[in-house]
Amino acid sequence: MRYDIEIPPTADGALEVTVVSWIKAVGDPVSKGQDLAEATTEKITLYVTAPAEGTLSEIIVAAGSKVKVGTVIGVLEGA
Amino acid sequence: MMAAEKQTGYWLDLGLTQYAPAFAIQEQILQARLDGQLAPTVILQENLPILTIGRSGSRDNILSSPENLEQLGIEVLEVNRGGDVTYHGPGQLIVSPLLYLGDIGLNANQYLHRLEDVLIELLACYDIHAGKKEGHPGVWREEAKIAAVGIAVKHGYTFHGFSLNLNPDLEAFNLINPCGVRQMPVTSIRQVLGQSPPMAQIKTRLREILHKNFALETRTAIWSDLARNLKR
Repeated sequence: MRYDIEIPPTADGALEVTVVSWIKAVGDPVSKGQDLAEATTEKITLYVTAPAEGTLSEIIVAAGSKVKVGTVIGVLEGA
Repeated sequence: MMAAEKQTGYWLDLGLTQYAPAFAIQEQILQARLDGQLAPTVILQENLPILTIGRSGSRDNILSSPENLEQLGIEVLEVNRGGDVTYHGPGQLIVSPLLYLGDIGLNANQYLHRLEDVLIELLACYDIHAGKKEGHPGVWREEAKIAAVGIAVKHGYTFHGFSLNLNPDLEAFNLINPCGVRQMPVTSIRQVLGQSPPMAQIKTRLREILHKNFALETRTAIWSDLARNLKR
């Protein structure tokens, strides 16, 4: 099963965050809840975590890009 | 509407400490919170002189040379809170509420601004009229920043928090572009009032205000006791 990896909701309105870094690489096995990426607004760091156990199969939004909260930034292939 | 259920938690004052070991404690507490092992915990500390660079930050905002910083005995560390470069040192109170956003009914952005409200209320106890500035997080006394905010959120659990200047060495902020802003004035309670109330009194008032704002009741804890319970 494929899971979308989204920037978690932080705010009312269309808050923009910057994907700072990917902690995991494509092909890495991950367990549910593990940190996958870090995103930040000016004063808030948000951890994007694995929605399920599986393998990080795709990075859609590269580190350094600005996206809105809720944007799908990667895909996880469930175990 | 029913009032939010009151949470009970811990008040953990680490006192004057180096940043790194104190942050290691914060990380252990966060993990215990994520594992459902520990109630909400408010961590307080004062740090020995250090410049920390948050996730939106850059070393370019440190104006002093590494040699000069070494001579001054000021460490530099990259950390995982939001925000840019800031200075921490004695006379500045750093507070990290480790709460769950679901418990307090706020999203991350609202929580960040609630921390500013807490600081404004605390400063008002001392007749300091401080406020927010649109687009410039933190708490401001006229054009100068008196408290900085910078948080991180994992699975809805908060860490990091804010720092309030009581009577730190304000000269140290000249070593950096605070929060990445060139020549941003920074002030302190002492600079505004001519003297700062005792740190212990500020902490007591802050505790009451945090309790009220987050429907929280904390009891004083020491780290060795909390750590012992976590290992069980």
